[in-house]
Amino acid sequence: MSDKPARRERPARAVKLNVLNEPKDSYTGGKSSLCPGCGHDQISNVIISAAWENGIEPHRVAKMSGIGCSSKTPAYYLGQSHGFNTVHGRMPSVTTGAYAVNKDLLYIGVSGDGDSASIGIGQLIHAIRRNMDMVYIVENNGVYGLTKGQYSATADIGSKKKKGATNMTQPIDLCALAINLGCTFVARSFSGSKKQLNALLKAAMSHKGFALIDVISPCVTFNNNDESMRSYGYVKENEITLHMADYIPHFNPLVEVEVPEGHFRDITLHDGSTIRLETISAEHDPGDAVAALTALHNAENSQKHVTGLLYFDNSKPSLAEDLGLVDQPLIDVPDEVLRPSTDKLDLINAALHG
Amino acid sequence: MNTIANDFTINIATANGTGSQSANLILLQSLFEMGVPVSGKNMFPSNISGLPTWYVVRLSDHGYQAPGNRVHIQVLVNPATWDEDLADLEPGSVVIWNENAKMEMTRDDVVSYPVPMTKLAKSINSKLAKLVTNIIYVGVLAEMLGIDQEELEAAVAKQFKGKATAIELNVSALNLGREYYRDNHPKVDPYIVEKRPIETPQFFIEGNEAAALGCIFGGVQMLAWYPITPSSSLAEGIINYIPQLRLDEEGNTTCAVIQAEDELAAAGMVLGAGWAGGRGMTATSGPGISLMQEFIGLGYFAEIPSVFWNVNRVGPSTGLPTRTQQSDITLCYEGSHGDTQHIVLIPGTVQECFEFGWRAFDISERFQTPIFGLSDLDLGMNRWACDGFDYPEVNMDRGKVVRDRDIFEAFEEFGRYLDVDGDGIPYRTLPGSGMDPILYRGTGHNTKGVYSEKPHDYHDLMARLKRKIEGSRDHLPAPIVREEKELQLGIIYLGSMENTIQEIDDLLEATGVKVSTCRVRALPYHSEVEEFIRRHETTVVLEINRDGQMYGILRKELPTELIPKIHSVAYSDGIPPRAKIYANLILSTLKEVSS
Repeated sequence: MSDKPARRERPARAVKLNVLNEPKDSYTGGKSSLCPGCGHDQISNVIISAAWENGIEPHRVAKMSGIGCSSKTPAYYLGQSHGFNTVHGRMPSVTTGAYAVNKDLLYIGVSGDGDSASIGIGQLIHAIRRNMDMVYIVENNGVYGLTKGQYSATADIGSKKKKGATNMTQPIDLCALAINLGCTFVARSFSGSKKQLNALLKAAMSHKGFALIDVISPCVTFNNNDESMRSYGYVKENEITLHMADYIPHFNPLVEVEVPEGHFRDITLHDGSTIRLETISAEHDPGDAVAALTALHNAENSQKHVTGLLYFDNSKPSLAEDLGLVDQPLIDVPDEVLRPSTDKLDLINAALHG
Repeated sequence: MNTIANDFTINIATANGTGSQSANLILLQSLFEMGVPVSGKNMFPSNISGLPTWYVVRLSDHGYQAPGNRVHIQVLVNPATWDEDLADLEPGSVVIWNENAKMEMTRDDVVSYPVPMTKLAKSINSKLAKLVTNIIYVGVLAEMLGIDQEELEAAVAKQFKGKATAIELNVSALNLGREYYRDNHPKVDPYIVEKRPIETPQFFIEGNEAAALGCIFGGVQMLAWYPITPSSSLAEGIINYIPQLRLDEEGNTTCAVIQAEDELAAAGMVLGAGWAGGRGMTATSGPGISLMQEFIGLGYFAEIPSVFWNVNRVGPSTGLPTRTQQSDITLCYEGSHGDTQHIVLIPGTVQECFEFGWRAFDISERFQTPIFGLSDLDLGMNRWACDGFDYPEVNMDRGKVVRDRDIFEAFEEFGRYLDVDGDGIPYRTLPGSGMDPILYRGTGHNTKGVYSEKPHDYHDLMARLKRKIEGSRDHLPAPIVREEKELQLGIIYLGSMENTIQEIDDLLEATGVKVSTCRVRALPYHSEVEEFIRRHETTVVLEINRDGQMYGILRKELPTELIPKIHSVAYSDGIPPRAKIYANLILSTLKEVSS
């Protein structure tokens, strides 16, 4: 690729270009303000790579998010795209409205587990029901980061807070939920599994319909209980009182982790605790919802997280088809077409006069 | 006996879900086609079937459209409200009552016309007796008052849209009612209907349908809604007119319709559409607006065009879902947390429902901000007379949206929130354009749209937003002023009070007070409203609510020296305003003021 002529003037050093002759730099964003080592930043990097490698026109993406650590990330990738950091849990509805009037953009939504599994679960469910054409990434860490570490609805049973009660509330598995709702693309991955996430993201970008990718993305700062399967629990000793608001630990990002199909591997997290990732086997039929749910169920029982493309269905119409819209995105329909003619109003008036 | 022509009120007491609405509309329509100035108000329960409902038909050669101040003719079909309805009547009233309702006539000071409605209905069709009963009383009324058979039959045909069996059944029931009255009751009451020449042909239409048409002619591109009384018929009006007005040759639509999962989602979709450059709207009522508050604040702060129709019902909370009120004025005007101020358009006629329907989009895109159409149940769900709708006289105003790269490049400096023209309205680009790509946010931001907590960024932004909305005042519909040269008493009113104001004016003038009126049609209020107050000795602000919300807004925003000149008259009981109640309240307020 490097021998292709550059579209603009480039530095003398050969820069790798994609099919659009764009360097990867065209897909980057601002500097992250998340905690150093945060899994979310790794996901942002994968979004950049996947969009670049897929040859997406960098300005034809709409970056959507709600509120929370994850929802801040659209500022850190695809700087040539417009984005909307909306309100807590309500990104799906804003995306739906934007999509209705401009169905030709690639909508990439980023959300967190607080955003998607609690306050916004209703909107997530209904966006799935409508099979809205979007990529919906959940950066799932089991805690509320910005408000300093409360459990979210995806926190595992038995997770124990540094101070306070053990979480005894059943977690919500967003992938199982999505499969049950008939979501047309359901995947799970891990922020450290760059290669797998990249492949899933590229596939999701090409999918016509709602593509959910639930990405386990450990919180380096607040998910600090050793018992948790998602834990970073950097405070090993519970008696140590830590002023978390004043102290942000620095971690190197997790090393890249790839698990061959059908295998599992224990990943050591920053605090020394482990998480067990299993990649769904090559035999798994992503068209089989029951098999996907069984895999999720078995993984939960054996304290594993099963990753990969769990469910896929390309037979359902996407929202744009359901809405019966004209081919042209509505925002490009001329005003004089949008406003019916005077003759039409005359007819209406005449009919009302009877 | 002296006759009383075209100046009385009929109250029909039935039960919800019995088909009485069709019968009542036939009565109303036939009077209307006879040229009799008439209005009909449906006072229905929040219920599918069985609870009491009343339909009030007011005939008035004065053109008074409000429900009358008393009932002259009572139709009693519903045993559940029988005693109450009877007790409320003034002596000498006429009562047409269903003899088969197993209820007693307990008044001997009224004109009593018993009719075996159920029995007559059964004689025509025993299965449909409940429905037919309603048409029987229309027949009785027609004979008693002298309503044209021809107009009645035309109204039946219109109501049942050419369905031959239904029309035949209803016409024979009408005739049976007529015959029964003719054969059994010598007319001993004074009330008659007289034909009037029709100078301007008019039709009846509900405000919600008019607003729906207006939105369609405003080029709405996305309707997101969640069903709620009394606004559902606005959304459904749009849905019903799309096939006729907004499909291309292949039958594809230029207006997306999404029934949202709740009002929060509906509001989010409206903002999403506006953000992406489309004309998005929702229709809801007070409870929906309460749920939408967070998004309304986002729309204000991130400056997203978005249109919200609020068909006001009685609050607070679930309130009286099927009754009318003007109690969401501040909810709309100052909606969401933090300092906000929103443009509110307040139609007072069905023509204005149509006009504000399209104009709302222009204003919202011009000022890049959420805008409310504030109607109410009375205007939205009752039938109001209309001459016809006027085509928008101006092209769509899409506001300061930059879609052309050459224009974009010509900007010396571009910032999404940069006040280039000094009017507080910045320029915007659209997603997908690659021009000035920013991450829109509900968090504090600088003129480039970048997150900022700097004191001057926040302060300047809020000051500009204030200036922007302030600048909309005289761009918005001016008040309708009817002025007496004495400039004695001014009445400021709004919305559906339009139906009652002439009668209030006449009642007051009968006491010797000279009355000017000023109907506010938008917030922030037009400068002419201030001038009106300045010119008049005393002004009352008349509203259908408890707290005098419009009065509160005026007090807050008027120059201090004008505040002593205005007084609040606010009253609400759920029923569309009756003139006498408000006239008396105004008189007692004036008394208090002068003492």
